[in-house]
Amino acid sequence: MSEIDFGSGLMPALIALILVSTFMLLGSKRLYTCVRAFGFQSFLLAVVAAVVAYSTGRSEIYVVSFLTLIIKAAIIPYVFIKISRDIGVKREIELYVNISPSLLIGGLLVVISYYLAQAININTQLSNYALSVSMSLLFIGLFIMISRKKAMTQMLGILIMENGIFLGAISLTYGMPLIVELGIFFDALVAVLIMGIMVFRINKTFETVDTDVLHTLIG
Amino acid sequence: MIKYLLLIPVLTALFCVIARTEKQIQTIGLVGSTATLIVGLTLVIDVFKHGTITTWESMLFADAFSAYLILITSLIGFAISMYLIGYMGRELKDGAIDLKRLRIYYVFYHLCIFSTLLVGVANDLGLWIAIEMTTLFSAPLIAINTKKSSIEATWKYLIICSVGITLALFGTILTYYAAVQVLGEGAGALSWVSLIAVADQFDPTLMKIAFVFILVGYGTKAGFVPMHTWLPDAHSEAQSPGSALLSGVVINCAVYGIIRFHIITSAAVGKEFSSSLLIMFGLMSLVIATPFIIMQRDHKRLLAYSSVEHMGIVALGFGFGGVLGIFGALLHMFNHSVTKSVLFFAAGNIRQKYGTTKIDPVSGIVKSMPYTGPMLVLGGLAITGSPPFGIFLSELTILAAGFMQGYIIISTLVLLLIMIIFAGFFNHINRMALSTPPEGITVGDASKWSLGAMMILVVFVVMLGVYIPPQFSDMIMQVVNIVNVVR
Repeated sequence: MSEIDFGSGLMPALIALILVSTFMLLGSKRLYTCVRAFGFQSFLLAVVAAVVAYSTGRSEIYVVSFLTLIIKAAIIPYVFIKISRDIGVKREIELYVNISPSLLIGGLLVVISYYLAQAININTQLSNYALSVSMSLLFIGLFIMISRKKAMTQMLGILIMENGIFLGAISLTYGMPLIVELGIFFDALVAVLIMGIMVFRINKTFETVDTDVLHTLIG
Repeated sequence: MIKYLLLIPVLTALFCVIARTEKQIQTIGLVGSTATLIVGLTLVIDVFKHGTITTWESMLFADAFSAYLILITSLIGFAISMYLIGYMGRELKDGAIDLKRLRIYYVFYHLCIFSTLLVGVANDLGLWIAIEMTTLFSAPLIAINTKKSSIEATWKYLIICSVGITLALFGTILTYYAAVQVLGEGAGALSWVSLIAVADQFDPTLMKIAFVFILVGYGTKAGFVPMHTWLPDAHSEAQSPGSALLSGVVINCAVYGIIRFHIITSAAVGKEFSSSLLIMFGLMSLVIATPFIIMQRDHKRLLAYSSVEHMGIVALGFGFGGVLGIFGALLHMFNHSVTKSVLFFAAGNIRQKYGTTKIDPVSGIVKSMPYTGPMLVLGGLAITGSPPFGIFLSELTILAAGFMQGYIIISTLVLLLIMIIFAGFFNHINRMALSTPPEGITVGDASKWSLGAMMILVVFVVMLGVYIPPQFSDMIMQVVNIVNVVR
């Protein structure tokens, strides 16, 4: 597979910024900051996709880049802000794991991902780098899901995982066939909408969006 | 043909949106599922007679394995849509749901059927999209109740399955990367066939990691222990038609996804790796489900844990491998789907009559419900693997394969667990079915539609135990040949 020639200096910087945006999310207690960090991360992903599109000359990747920008960097953050305004959720996020240990665990997960990515035979340095960041996002997203109380932050966790996978896909294989990408975007959008409706229902039924209250079904 | 098969459920859902009365919704639903069944069967026969069909630049693809899944989906889907008329009609009359909710239920039910059919015909990468869709479209079927517990179950279902499926996407992408390294970037849409053809050149480490992600990801959806935690909640909190759909149809889709990648991984790194993982998860599911079945107090959760058990058995069958093991596993998928649907239908009738899903307050069903009662006992006998029903035969086949392939200790353990589950499960059924009904329960059964749906499926439960039509076994043999690539 050919190395990306254009932007070979730009790509590592972008990928590093994506990792930084994840830590912004991990290190913030304010819901809006988290949503903004997610939007910023998606924006960076769109730029990565555009760089890949330019350097490989495959025009359908521009479509993917554009869709990322519209759906993940605009619509989904908007939906989030709207939901939290409508149900009047508290701005502060409640955590099971505090900020500083969260950041430490995040760092540890990055190191683990780096070694995992080394285990896989990847022929270029850049892809290897991207893969380790992609796995970091996967694990940090998972960690955010289990360490935050609010239903909305759990949604954010899933979306971060998805962003990680997207980064892996775009930098390893220069994107999947367009129709598949479209399907994945469609699924992400529907997932956010249905989960959004569920957040409303949880709020209406339990008068809170803390997932702490969801613990009656056991055994 | 494939396009029509996918179009019909979508159209049915659309018509349900604009339908005005209860009667219209029910008629549209039934006509839609009948059409799906007919087109589905035609497609199945076509595939088994003339081989693989591909359309739409090979994005859609149906080989024998797909056809087998479509057969199960369209059959169970049809039975459920009959049952829906009786069950939901009663709910509507009782005021448990209103017309708006009924409409939502029908719309999402048919969308869910669409997505499960899409799982069957999606080629390679599209599979992920289809399986994610089954999660999204079936979630509203659980949330149709406004009870707190239903909301909790839906949220768990959405979150846990979305995470699982995201991991599966990562596995899918790694597989795609492995393929791109061999085939070059221009390969475009990859098909199952072209992947298997070059699978032996895949990077083995990459493929192993990919399969682990796929197995954990789709395994979440299939209810393998320890990723099963959402399943008893979702399957028991859904209304009975939804439970039947989840246990009888959706769960098979996830297993189908795993086996598709099991085939590729076997071709790439030899079959020991993925087979032993399947056996491990299968055995764990069986071991963990057993105490929950014995100690269960809720009859719908009982059925849900039984689904965990049976998916474990299916995984074991595929894991043991060989013609016999795979044949048994495939047969077991079919048998489990029909039997479990009958039982969930019975559970729905019981809930509507006794007003509870707990086991303790329910007794004397055979007396109070002259049709549901016997069918519950029959289904209970069948699902626990007693002769002469279908599941007995498929479990026997799988165990025979286990012993033949040299998994003596595991097979003995499985046999033991199945016996314990039989005793525990049937004890519950016994208590519910026999003795006298509590006071205030009058004799009278569910509507003809509900009973009709159950009877159709009971025919398969009974028949497949004593006689497997040669056409049907030929069909399964064709699927076995697809799965059994590394001999």
